Amino acid sequence: MDNKQKVIQWLQETSFREVTLSVDFIVTGYISYFYLSQLLNATPEQLASIEWLSTVLLEVIVYSIVLMVVSYIALAFISDDELSRPMDVREKQINLVGYKYSAIILQVGVILALVQYNIAAQGFEFMQSSVPHLPLHILVGAFLLAELAHYGVQLYKGRTGEIYE
Amino acid sequence: MSDPADKKLGISNSIRTLRFLHNEMTQKQLADLIGVTRQTVMAIESNKYSPTLEVAFKIAEVFNLPLDQVFSYRSGK
Repeated sequence: MDNKQKVIQWLQETSFREVTLSVDFIVTGYISYFYLSQLLNATPEQLASIEWLSTVLLEVIVYSIVLMVVSYIALAFISDDELSRPMDVREKQINLVGYKYSAIILQVGVILALVQYNIAAQGFEFMQSSVPHLPLHILVGAFLLAELAHYGVQLYKGRTGEIYE
Repeated sequence: MSDPADKKLGISNSIRTLRFLHNEMTQKQLADLIGVTRQTVMAIESNKYSPTLEVAFKIAEVFNLPLDQVFSYRSGK
């Protein structure tokens, strides 16, 4: 069995919703990696520059849209009638469980960003080398992490079937 | 020999056996008949997911059996 046949067999065993979720997860993972690598490789001047930061955020948005559109077009070629069918009750429950974890991460992220913003506004030297625009980075990080959790939890719960734990 | 899963508390079912007895119906075929995904049928069969009352009745209807012959409940009392 060659690789092409293995891919086809795997696709047949896996639901199209799982494939879509996997693609979403990988794309979000790549976007997170891109954002993190941009921050880690930036000079202190770049980190302090709001123009540089807005350019990075714009790149993140553009890459997200382009990658999602390209992947969905590619998936459309291999999809069966599954996408046209509404989610059943179990899938809706799994979707909600995904949203629950996603919401928790977002809430924690927003609270951390607010706390960090207040610390900076009060002038406390909380960290030795303070990162400029840290609340914004925390918000973006929380958003990306929440998206990863949303897709990852759905994949895990959908595969194991353990949606009540 | 009885399946250890049958002795578990909660809802269990005999869908796998019934599928086999009905011309070896596939999970996909059953899923299409009751309007859920194949993954949901798999989860119901392995007792990882309790179906809604509507889906349970639809499954019983497919096999032309009363509900209590498809699903059983062990409360531990």
